[in-house]
Amino acid sequence: MSMILPILTFLPLLGALLCLLVPREEAGLHRGIGLVTSLVTFAASLLLLPDFEPAKMSYVVRWPWAPSLGIEFHLGIDGISLWLVMLTTFLLPVVFLSTFTAITDKVREFVVCALVLQTGMLGAFLALDLFLFYVMWEVMLVPMYFIIGIWGGDRRLYASIKFVIYTMVGSLLMLIAILFLYIKGHEATGVWSFDYDNLRKLVLTAAEQKWCFAAFALAFCIKVPLFPLHTWLPDAHVEAPTAGSVILASVLLKFGPYGLIRFAMPMFPQALLDWAPLLSLLAVIGIVYGSLVAYAQTDIKKLIAYSSVAHMGFVVLGLMMLNSRGVNGALYQCLAHGISTGALFLSVGVIYERRHTRRMEEFGGLWQRMPVFAAFLLIFTMASIGLPGLSGFVGEFLIIIGTFSANKAGTGMPQVFEHATLLAALAATGVVFGAVYMLSLFQRVMLGPLTNPLNRKLRDLSGREIWMLLPMLVMAFWLGICPKTFLKDIDPAVTATLSQIREKFAAGPSEGKPYMLGGDKAKAAPGKADPAAGKAEPAKGNPPAAAGGQP
Amino acid sequence: MTFDISDLLNSAPLLLLTVAGLVLLLLEAFSRVRLVGPDYHHKLPAETSEAVAVPVPGSRTYLMPLTVATLLATLALLASQAGGAGGDGVHMYRNMLVLDRFGLMMSGICVLGALLGVMVAPAYLREHKMEFGEYYALILFTLAGMLILIQASDLVTVFLGVETMSLGAYVLTGSWRRSARSSEAAMKYFLVGAFVSGILVYGIALIYGTVGATSFVKIKEMAPHLAQQPLFYLGWLLLVVSFAFKIGAVPFHMWAPDTYEGAPTPVSGFMMSCIKTAGFAGLIRLCAGVLAAPETATQPFTGWGHILLVLSILTMTLGNLGALQQDNIKRMLAYSSIAHAGYLLLGVAALAWVGDEARGPLLYYLLAYTLTTVGSMGVVAWLGGDDAGQERVRLEDWAGLAQRQPAAALAMTVFLLSLGGFPPTAGFFGKLYLFRVALSRPELLVPVLIAIANSLISVYYYLRVITAMYFRPAPSKQATSPIQSGAVSLAMLVAALLVLGFGVMPEWLANLCASAGLGG
Repeated sequence: MSMILPILTFLPLLGALLCLLVPREEAGLHRGIGLVTSLVTFAASLLLLPDFEPAKMSYVVRWPWAPSLGIEFHLGIDGISLWLVMLTTFLLPVVFLSTFTAITDKVREFVVCALVLQTGMLGAFLALDLFLFYVMWEVMLVPMYFIIGIWGGDRRLYASIKFVIYTMVGSLLMLIAILFLYIKGHEATGVWSFDYDNLRKLVLTAAEQKWCFAAFALAFCIKVPLFPLHTWLPDAHVEAPTAGSVILASVLLKFGPYGLIRFAMPMFPQALLDWAPLLSLLAVIGIVYGSLVAYAQTDIKKLIAYSSVAHMGFVVLGLMMLNSRGVNGALYQCLAHGISTGALFLSVGVIYERRHTRRMEEFGGLWQRMPVFAAFLLIFTMASIGLPGLSGFVGEFLIIIGTFSANKAGTGMPQVFEHATLLAALAATGVVFGAVYMLSLFQRVMLGPLTNPLNRKLRDLSGREIWMLLPMLVMAFWLGICPKTFLKDIDPAVTATLSQIREKFAAGPSEGKPYMLGGDKAKAAPGKADPAAGKAEPAKGNPPAAAGGQP
Repeated sequence: MTFDISDLLNSAPLLLLTVAGLVLLLLEAFSRVRLVGPDYHHKLPAETSEAVAVPVPGSRTYLMPLTVATLLATLALLASQAGGAGGDGVHMYRNMLVLDRFGLMMSGICVLGALLGVMVAPAYLREHKMEFGEYYALILFTLAGMLILIQASDLVTVFLGVETMSLGAYVLTGSWRRSARSSEAAMKYFLVGAFVSGILVYGIALIYGTVGATSFVKIKEMAPHLAQQPLFYLGWLLLVVSFAFKIGAVPFHMWAPDTYEGAPTPVSGFMMSCIKTAGFAGLIRLCAGVLAAPETATQPFTGWGHILLVLSILTMTLGNLGALQQDNIKRMLAYSSIAHAGYLLLGVAALAWVGDEARGPLLYYLLAYTLTTVGSMGVVAWLGGDDAGQERVRLEDWAGLAQRQPAAALAMTVFLLSLGGFPPTAGFFGKLYLFRVALSRPELLVPVLIAIANSLISVYYYLRVITAMYFRPAPSKQATSPIQSGAVSLAMLVAALLVLGFGVMPEWLANLCASAGLGG
């Protein structure tokens, strides 16, 4: 079991190498290898679940990689990354299933790209060495660029280059910040190390923190994507093939929030307080703006892409509230968005394969021809809107509650949000707008009279497509009905991280030279936090329980 | 005034290259030729006067393997010297040359670059109907010149090395006799080179005038007292200018794009990687070895650190901006090699602030850059010529290459990603080592930021090639097949594997580079 994380990370890569050994003509064999590899990876990831200890890093491996530079192959998993890893391994088999008829050209290349991408994604979620994280972050970039560029739509060249340039701007700034931390860490301890456990305890001056946080946050906010850095997303989503859109929306976007809560927020708490008002304001703007723009779209994929901007705005808002409800909600929303938006993109793929168009006016009344599909799409639409009992509800509910209570005592941080209530109110309008544009999408595509003669001969879902959508459906219900499954792991880790943030905040910024936060305090278990945190803790179990009880 | 017999042993790689070059020249002279018309494949009609002598098919196939064997033996000699006791600063030929690990490693990089380049050559020369046996001898002589320059510890040997190296390069550049571009390239390179030689000699004369000696050891002793003296400073400045020409640094780069574009592709690769490496070795010795005194080095505006820093920023920025607009891949790579000279100059400038620690990263970067450049130029060469006899270097020639030649496209992708600094490639670690060492001084933060912004720009034009190869449809007209040669494939495979290998496991090479001491 101690080797589970490296095995998990490199299983997909192994599958990719296997694909390279099989002749390119054997398309079916390549699809099989992709599916089986991703299923095996999923099965391996299930081994993580029993007896998981969410509050600390589990299954840690630490191997030297380039000792002279202090680079280690350091992997670990806690409650924050656990369900994101599970989301990744869960989605890849679904994605492979969706490509069986959609991708018929260069199948081998696609399977290799998708599997290398999976290795990059898992590696980045698991990396506890900042350098390894950066490498994995870049490893993700190249296959995604190929997936958009080779199998994408008409404007794929533009979209793929835009995707790469946006991501590279952020990641190079992040690299500078990582190198800066690395040098400051050496100044403080005399040891060259990229290790996250070490660098997390490094205390910098307020100005240094501010710039480092800005560099990290920019990289992550581009990935989220936070308004106004979101413009690459609609292009990338619209041009990417279905499989690419699903991976992009469900997993790649989650690196934004993950990076914020794992790296940017705990490492620079002073700067976090400076930036949080701006970020949360942008998040709210993103929610409202994304919703309004989504409503104006006529391309189904573009509508869902803009709905992602709105949904991911909720995530950033929740993170910036710095209380356990908001952050729990944000991470929960990540999972919910991964399932519901992924499923919506898969559904778009289903009709796109039949009609080769995504324009809404081409459709209408599909319910009559495709009743099974209509049922699926209705549920995914409701999940995206956030109907209680479905996946979208719990996260958004927690985030809004967290935002309302951001000014209440118990956060252990200074009061930074004078108008948190206003933010919460504005964010809540996003839920209403969400219902408007999603229901109008459903209405325009599925309901009404079947006017377009081209739609008269549409087939309903095939067996394979049902098998592809069914797991997403199950997860959408599971996330809505039984949030405890996920929050029991997420919550302790969030509490531990928040207490780290508080602790480092209490220590104050460095006056001049960088130094390390003393002892092992930073690894405090949830119970060991200061009284203010203790007060907040009993409350945290309630909202999910209430949410679970409502349907 | 005695002659030490151990000098011969210490300079064995140099001697081996020279002797092997002479032997190859002789062998070539005695190989059989026949006279044919300009059309090459047809027998010469009696009345045509434009006869060219071409080798009888199969009569010269041994030249390339012999050269490769020589280069491998040279590499082995260099390695054994580096491992031996003489690795830390033994002077040879009465202080004219110095044997140290830095010089040995730099020589090794040059020899490796030449080795991979030579493997590409025969097929390329045959494809473009320009086979001539002196090619291999010239490569070896040029390489010998590089070794002299790299190991020089006297201004006279620096001059000797630069001239030997350049003479060979002039001829190699112009060796595609039927191509006007090649002649133009050679002419430009020669005129600029001759001019630079004058500058170099002038600089040497000024330094000799103030110091009274040309030996690095003497100059080093006197340098702290002389650094402020105008004539000495001017002499040093002229030396820097002449090296800046050789490495193609802005504003002394005007010849570089035309020369690299016009020269036969394996020669361009050789010049972009090996001559640049040798030039950097000379520059590093001159700046960090001779003028090491840090208080003068980091003086604002006049210290050598600052001057190199300005050169570096200009070079990387203009190189990248130039590369952005190219539709000709060879020319784009030429501009990109200028940009890379800029990153390397940043490392040399960092020597002024950081000291010896910056040398290891420089070596690593140079090796990564050499492998990548020779590899990418190898792929360009490998695509061969079109029906008009032109090289396939335009971006549209590369459209859909991934469908027609997946292996070549994959190798090129690895090289381009390495040039652009993506992990896990050697180019990424080269940049990382270089930037890390520079970032340890706050004075260098802004230049590093500029360098990182530049690598972002460079991603765009590298990706354009990848985009063309993978995302654009292949032209409907069936192109003639590229060069069929096992040696070319082997060279590209080795280069690609080394680029990936040093990107996944950088530790061994980094330690090796860090251990490369500069001998006194």
